[in-house]
Amino acid sequence: MDFLWHKVSEKEKEEIKKQAKEIIDNFSKHIGKIELGESKVLRKDQTRKETKASSEKDFRNRFFDNAPNKEGDLIKAEKGHWK
Amino acid sequence: MLLEKTKKILERIKKEDKDINSFIQINPNALKEAEEIERKIKAKKAGKLAGKIIAVKSNINVKGLLATCASNTLKNYKSAFDATVIKKIKQEDGLIIGMTNMDEFASGSSGETSAFGPTKNPASKELIPGGSSSGSAAATAAGFCDIALGSDTGGSIRNPASHCGVVGMKPSYGSVSRYGLIDLSMSLDQIGPFAKTVGDAELAFDIISGKDEYDATTFDLLQEKEEKKSFTIALSKDFEKLCPDKKIYDLIKKKTEELCKKKGWKLANVDLKHIDLAVSAYYPLCYVEFFSATRRFDGRKYGFKIEDACGPEVLRRILGGSEISKAEFKGTYYRKALKVKEIIKNEFKEAFKKVDAIISPTVPKLPHKIGSKISAEEMYSYDALTIPANLAEICAINIPAGKISNVPVGIQIMCEQFKEKKLFSIAKEIEKL
Repeated sequence: MDFLWHKVSEKEKEEIKKQAKEIIDNFSKHIGKIELGESKVLRKDQTRKETKASSEKDFRNRFFDNAPNKEGDLIKAEKGHWK
Repeated sequence: MLLEKTKKILERIKKEDKDINSFIQINPNALKEAEEIERKIKAKKAGKLAGKIIAVKSNINVKGLLATCASNTLKNYKSAFDATVIKKIKQEDGLIIGMTNMDEFASGSSGETSAFGPTKNPASKELIPGGSSSGSAAATAAGFCDIALGSDTGGSIRNPASHCGVVGMKPSYGSVSRYGLIDLSMSLDQIGPFAKTVGDAELAFDIISGKDEYDATTFDLLQEKEEKKSFTIALSKDFEKLCPDKKIYDLIKKKTEELCKKKGWKLANVDLKHIDLAVSAYYPLCYVEFFSATRRFDGRKYGFKIEDACGPEVLRRILGGSEISKAEFKGTYYRKALKVKEIIKNEFKEAFKKVDAIISPTVPKLPHKIGSKISAEEMYSYDALTIPANLAEICAINIPAGKISNVPVGIQIMCEQFKEKKLFSIAKEIEKL
């Protein structure tokens, strides 16, 4: 395969899905001999101070500029649109 | 002076970057900002980066500039805020010249996967510059900036630095805030500098590092200047086994021996028996964390839905990550990969009890021609020597070591986590050779 960017067709999507699974299976074989022990998390105090929310006036405008669908004061995010 | 310098560089970029493709966007306010910094310089009120021209990888948020991640998904996305590293650079009066090209969402080791076209290697334009911070490395090598920022998840700073013949440094995990970095793999990503000299890379690192309350993984580094003058350096046979190109390994070995002989430093060997598993552990971790990170690109609040807009390599990682995140594969892939990460981290910890630094080539092979057909495994093996440092969370740097067939080859130095001052100290001695 070449790695240059190109638009992916539906047919190619299926091939890529198979490739991804094969790649991951191969890597999994390499690390297969590793035995799993108990997992643990070591964490000391890692909290952060609560600060006031950003009050920059132009943050809101910039965020709105980036929105693909908006109506008045609202960003339109239709239910199911992302599926 | 800075204004004149900026004008000249902008002219050069306009003329020469058509051929290299290292920038996605030039800062439209660069000249105005240069004027302001120049005023501060004249008034002797300027910060430590005054006079330096800085390029930024397109996955780091710079307020008002595009953060495209070199993807059509975010091709019109303007950053609404500054990443912590950018805030720090601006506080020290660094001038941001523009946003650089990269592999799409940092998913690549060659600089070819950008939706804005591949970046070319300034040292040899038919060859890849390496990736994923391809544009930052190429812009530094071409002299379009003094310093550039990149991000390194498995070698994305050191790999292109090696191919382009510049200095590129990956800080320890926790040294530099990732707030404002559009992540590839959050448990491995670090932002770091490119420069022509080790001194400039150190200057940039000193400014961008430190604790940030917006990134809970960061620590305050109160590192003193390295006082030690004599070091023990290791060349590991386990790294040698991962380098099929003997010419590259021999060049690095010779350079290391020359360093130790000249400085009277000890040369040792260390065992790192599991680093051959690094690539196989890295990709499952990277795929699954990337899958998780990309769920926000659903085309609702900003940009386009990623699966509809991305190229093949990004899609491969998303689909692979989706598989791994399925409950039945958790033990097979993800937990085992985490276990390997832990084993490798411990091996490095043990090694650093005996030695101050471990040296290896940065990349095990020379760069291929842009557009060549190679397998995913071949592509992923470009990072075989850099991934171990990410898994071990240690710091590492690439320095130009020489040329083979007229192509730059880099030497990699690795030091213990949070021992960046020692790393720079050793790097400066290699730079002098």
